[in-house]
Amino acid sequence: MTLVNRLGGVICRLKSLILGTAGTVFLASCGRNAPQDTFQPKGPNAQKIDTLQKPVFAVAGIIGVIVAVAVVYSMVKFRDRGQPIPKQSHGNPALEITLTIIPALILAVVGVFTFRTVFDLNKTSDTQMIINVTGQQWWWEYDYPANNEYGITQPIITSGQLVIPVGTKVMLRETSRDVIHSYWIPALNGKRDAVPGRITTNRIEADEPGIYAGQCTEFCGLSHANMRMEAVALSKEDFAKWVANQLKPYAAPAESTLAKEGETVFLNQCTRCHQVNGLTRADGTPVIAAPDENVWSGAAPNLSHLMSRNTFAGAMFNLVTPECRTDVWKSESVTFGAKYLAGVDEPCLNQTDLRGWLRNAPAMKPMYANPALLAATGGKYRGMPNLGLSESDIEKLVAYLLTLK
Amino acid sequence: MFTPGSKYLIAITGLSAVSFALYMLLVHPSALGAVALIGLVAATSLITGVALFTRDGHTPDGQTSAATVDTPTPSMWPLVGAAGFALLLVGTITTPIVFIFGIVAIFAALVEWTVQAWSEGASGDNAYNASIRQRILNPIEYPILAAVGIAVIIFSFSRVMLATNKDAGAIIFIVVAAVVSVVGMLISLRPSLKKGIIGTIAVVAAVGLVGAGIASMGVGMREDLVVAAEEDHYAHQECGEEKSEHFDKGVSETISATSGVDATIELIDGKLTAQVQGIEGLQDSITVRRSNPSNIIFRNKDAGEFRLKANLGKKQIADGVMEEVVTCTQLISEGAEQWLTLTINKPSVSGEPYTLSIPGLKGQSIVVVVP
Ligand code: HEC
Ligand SMILES: [Cu+2]
Repeated sequence: MTLVNRLGGVICRLKSLILGTAGTVFLASCGRNAPQDTFQPKGPNAQKIDTLQKPVFAVAGIIGVIVAVAVVYSMVKFRDRGQPIPKQSHGNPALEITLTIIPALILAVVGVFTFRTVFDLNKTSDTQMIINVTGQQWWWEYDYPANNEYGITQPIITSGQLVIPVGTKVMLRETSRDVIHSYWIPALNGKRDAVPGRITTNRIEADEPGIYAGQCTEFCGLSHANMRMEAVALSKEDFAKWVANQLKPYAAPAESTLAKEGETVFLNQCTRCHQVNGLTRADGTPVIAAPDENVWSGAAPNLSHLMSRNTFAGAMFNLVTPECRTDVWKSESVTFGAKYLAGVDEPCLNQTDLRGWLRNAPAMKPMYANPALLAATGGKYRGMPNLGLSESDIEKLVAYLLTLK
Repeated sequence: MFTPGSKYLIAITGLSAVSFALYMLLVHPSALGAVALIGLVAATSLITGVALFTRDGHTPDGQTSAATVDTPTPSMWPLVGAAGFALLLVGTITTPIVFIFGIVAIFAALVEWTVQAWSEGASGDNAYNASIRQRILNPIEYPILAAVGIAVIIFSFSRVMLATNKDAGAIIFIVVAAVVSVVGMLISLRPSLKKGIIGTIAVVAAVGLVGAGIASMGVGMREDLVVAAEEDHYAHQECGEEKSEHFDKGVSETISATSGVDATIELIDGKLTAQVQGIEGLQDSITVRRSNPSNIIFRNKDAGEFRLKANLGKKQIADGVMEEVVTCTQLISEGAEQWLTLTINKPSVSGEPYTLSIPGLKGQSIVVVVP
């Protein structure tokens, strides 16, 4: 590559960078395919915030322009040309009082509406469903306490994708097992911190079936940027089907299949961290995982129904191939539920990322999972370590994980 | 044309522009680095423009006082600052507390020295300069010194009280209080008393107190406190009907119990009920997270003293020997309430259900579900 070529490339990159930056800023305000856009509320809580913030944004914008213009005007008009200092307005009580009262009034009006919205959003009395949301480095766990009205006879536990019924006032009870995280699905509500030792509540409700993306918004360490989540809203009937599937008992793979061999590998390698409800050892005793002994936060995702989700590892990776994912995301709200509930089967499985994860998880997502550097956490991992599995073990594990619908 | 300030800013702008160019040419350009550097170029050129335009905000007839003469007086603050840096270095390789002392010393030196130097430039009159120094710093110095003094007194005295037994402690307290008030009275009755004498008394008292404190620390805490500190509640398991002083020590584990209530358990008319925020009505089971401290409030609304006991399964203490894992609140009387903090590491599927119950009250329990 000649220098001229190279320079040309740099200039091109520069131009696209500058244009790109300006363009992004400009277009962000009107993007349609922006899943985390706060300007596109998809439920009553987010709608309330939107109704408040738009006029405030407009007023602030107008004032901002006025101030900027006044500053530039003064700079140009009164720049130092050796002229005498112009007349000063200091010591003009009428002017000073006016200039204090006008902003105070504006802020008071904004304050009244803000407080009203804040109190509105904090209302919890008419909650229809509660879900415990627990943050940890770097994924979210959801557990659904028993709730007969929705057919949840046994508590359900899942991670990465929060599944809710549409038109239902859902209260998230948030906390954290390690550091402070913050839960934010922009389309459904504002953000709320998940603080260890505390329980904070966050109400969400979705109008339409669909997937609503979000991410952790409180810096929480190495993979903070990879700590994402998605809320999946299903129609009431579809939600009932989802619940029924989550409550389905464990079905062991048939004897002498690849999946059965995978189950054995799983028992040896994975169950010290990951719980699979209903999984038993050869002698019939239930397998109880011990993430509290192996992981710093005390938890690892429950994999009982892994293939019912579309993402994994804190929603950082898709569990389905891009085509299958587009198919689900882009489908009409009538067909969306059925497509989501179909879960992940072999043709749709994102083999590359899942295998990559099993081969060397810390290489896929930065985590404190180097066994040599665990002194600070008393030998416990923050994340999933590289287990040094052979390719044939990975083959078997993938076959087994595919049975965890 | 080019004021000193704008020359400096032009240099920074130039340098950042050059580094941006070098970065794009030589280093593999990542979006983040490019944005940071182009941002730097944009920001510095903006400031440069403003500085050029306003000529550093220079007013030609701005003047400094002609009376300003440099008359520095000796100061101990550079010394304190240097000692602070030494502490800082020592602290990084020894214990954090030394490091913190270093920071405090440096910060104090910084503030004191800055204000002193500034005040010395205020006029040619040293007495006046000292007075403005005091006017600024005394409102900060006095409260800090007073707080340190009070802290030293409380800390030393409390060490003495922890070391002596309960009865002797009461006597010491009475005697010390009496001496303080008598001496104070005597001093106030004789206003003519020399300042030196009062100072001597204060110094002797302070040295005596601190000395007693240090000596007591050497002796250590009294027997029953040592036992209490070492006591392992789980080993005692006195969660039955007996009146014992053992209770859930985990309660203090959480940062702010009041803002993290998982459930409220009430005993009314011999019935145990649970209330959970967000779920309507009374429950007979609660769900708590696995491997996470969960706070439960127990309210006794029944006549008599009761405690809430959590049955958390069994654990193996030796080969084939299982022991029940329990924890409980203290016995509380009617109208009282207490906290219980549960951390359950295994899901409910692991065997017997986890429950909350009242010792001595049959047939009443709340199931604790751990998903
Ligand atoms: C030392 C504990 C540990 C072991 C052993 C372990 N994992 Fe993990 N695993 C984790 C943690 C922690 C996470 C969550 C990481 C994250 O998302 O940041 C995780 C995440 C996962 C996920 C993504 C789940 C989801 O819903 O997001 C899968 C799949 C997975 N592990 C499979 C396995 C398999 C298969 C094995 C055995 C070969 C295994 N893990 C062994 C700790 C462990
Ligand atoms: Cu986070």
